[in-house]
Amino acid sequence: MRGTGTARTVGAVDAATVILVLVVVVALAFDFTNGFHDTANAMATSIATHALPPKAAVTLSAVLNLVGAFLSVEVALTVTNAVVRIQQADGAPSPDLVQDGGEALLLIVLTGLVGAIVWNLLTWLLGLPSSSSHALFGGLIGATVAGLGWGAVHWAGDGGEPDGILGKVVVPAVASPVVAGVVAATGTWFVYRITVGVAARYTERGFRWGQIGSASLVSLAHGTNDAQKTMGVITLALIASGHWTSTTAIPVWVKVCCALAIALGTYLGGWRIIRTLGKGLIDIAPPQGMAAETASAATILVSSHLGLPLSTTQVTTGSVLGAGVGRPGATVRWRVAGRMGVAWLITMPAAGLVGAATWFLAHLLGGGVLGAVAVVLVLVALSGVMYVRSRRDAVHAGNVNDEWQEPARQRRPAAAGGVR
Amino acid sequence: MLATETGMLGQVLLVSLVLGAGLPVLFGLGLRAMAWGAGGDAEEHPAGVAPRPHPLGRALGVLCFALAAAGVVLGITVVVASGLGYEVGLGGGPLFVEKS
Repeated sequence: MRGTGTARTVGAVDAATVILVLVVVVALAFDFTNGFHDTANAMATSIATHALPPKAAVTLSAVLNLVGAFLSVEVALTVTNAVVRIQQADGAPSPDLVQDGGEALLLIVLTGLVGAIVWNLLTWLLGLPSSSSHALFGGLIGATVAGLGWGAVHWAGDGGEPDGILGKVVVPAVASPVVAGVVAATGTWFVYRITVGVAARYTERGFRWGQIGSASLVSLAHGTNDAQKTMGVITLALIASGHWTSTTAIPVWVKVCCALAIALGTYLGGWRIIRTLGKGLIDIAPPQGMAAETASAATILVSSHLGLPLSTTQVTTGSVLGAGVGRPGATVRWRVAGRMGVAWLITMPAAGLVGAATWFLAHLLGGGVLGAVAVVLVLVALSGVMYVRSRRDAVHAGNVNDEWQEPARQRRPAAAGGVR
Repeated sequence: MLATETGMLGQVLLVSLVLGAGLPVLFGLGLRAMAWGAGGDAEEHPAGVAPRPHPLGRALGVLCFALAAAGVVLGITVVVASGLGYEVGLGGGPLFVEKS
């Protein structure tokens, strides 16, 4: 640490350090919302079919996310390179952004994270599963455009590896639900055909174990993929402010904090999203649950193995829809699916707008500590409003499996205190 | 520009289909075989004549479950290995290849 010096340098160092601390705290908050948002991906189907009691499901998922986060020693330092140009190819921050103690870069990262968190919380409030990675990318793009202009946006790769917004966001977003849906529909259709005539008592117990196994695999894969992103963002901020130099390693405390944040978020569980995914799209039965989670696990693992990582959230949603299509006679609530589709489309622009707006706010206030603190206060205020709003029709482990009602009808009794 | 992505998506779909739909099918076959093996009320049957148990069914069922479990173990191996910086090679070469 560069502690001692003249009063003036102490002041300058402190400004960057204060912003850095804010970035780290906000990044961990994002990691938390990431876990919280994505519990549903692994566990919604197991909870809906009663394969696992709600609390046991989120605990299992949290533990596996924690394990997964520690399993990855790979350094995801270049995470922002997918969509914006604020880093060099090796992960080091762009030199022109790290003069004056890295404040310019820290501010972009901070406001980008704020955009991502606000959107994650809003979609949670609406009970919509949306991709946390897209929210993070959207926020970073918005903040980067505000700070550096459109030229700093990385639109597409050079034809080699899939890269840029096109290769890392657009193509995966369109493909994820389709691929996962086809796989899940095929699996579901076969499973029902194969087990025709087997007594229900026999299939229920078997599929219960199949579901728990496949859901665990999704949780583990999630921990290895998603916690890394926040680790990369925090390490980037540490390098920018001169507190870390290696681009091939991540500080141990960053890894521990990120793993704990995502696991805690997963454990608290975004019950509203679990409800939509488990009860809203289809009335899911154990064979469908198993087929859906296996399809999700396979698609997530295969796609990241082959170098075209698909979004966990969109894969899971596609799988659940596919499981509905594949079961003869099942109904799929396409209106709910449509609402999710809309949320996916506007995730990036919406998070980007918040990122850009908060960047301008910080910029107006001089861009230093004052700006950063103001941005964080805005985040706290918005989060508080959304939390309070969520209490009006709280969803929790006790009512997550209640019969699904269309939201339009759900709202009226809620005003009269009819819905728990 | 989109050609790379489209080609990769085809691969992703194919392999995911084999694993993601194949494992539930194996599992379903295992359940079916176990039920046949157990006899009695495990399968739907006309009233009065409970099917006899078939030891072969149990053996087949266990085989199916073992194969499905092997698929899951393979999945976990891929997750863990790629987390530790290795790729799992299934092309006949060494199982763990350090990532380039």
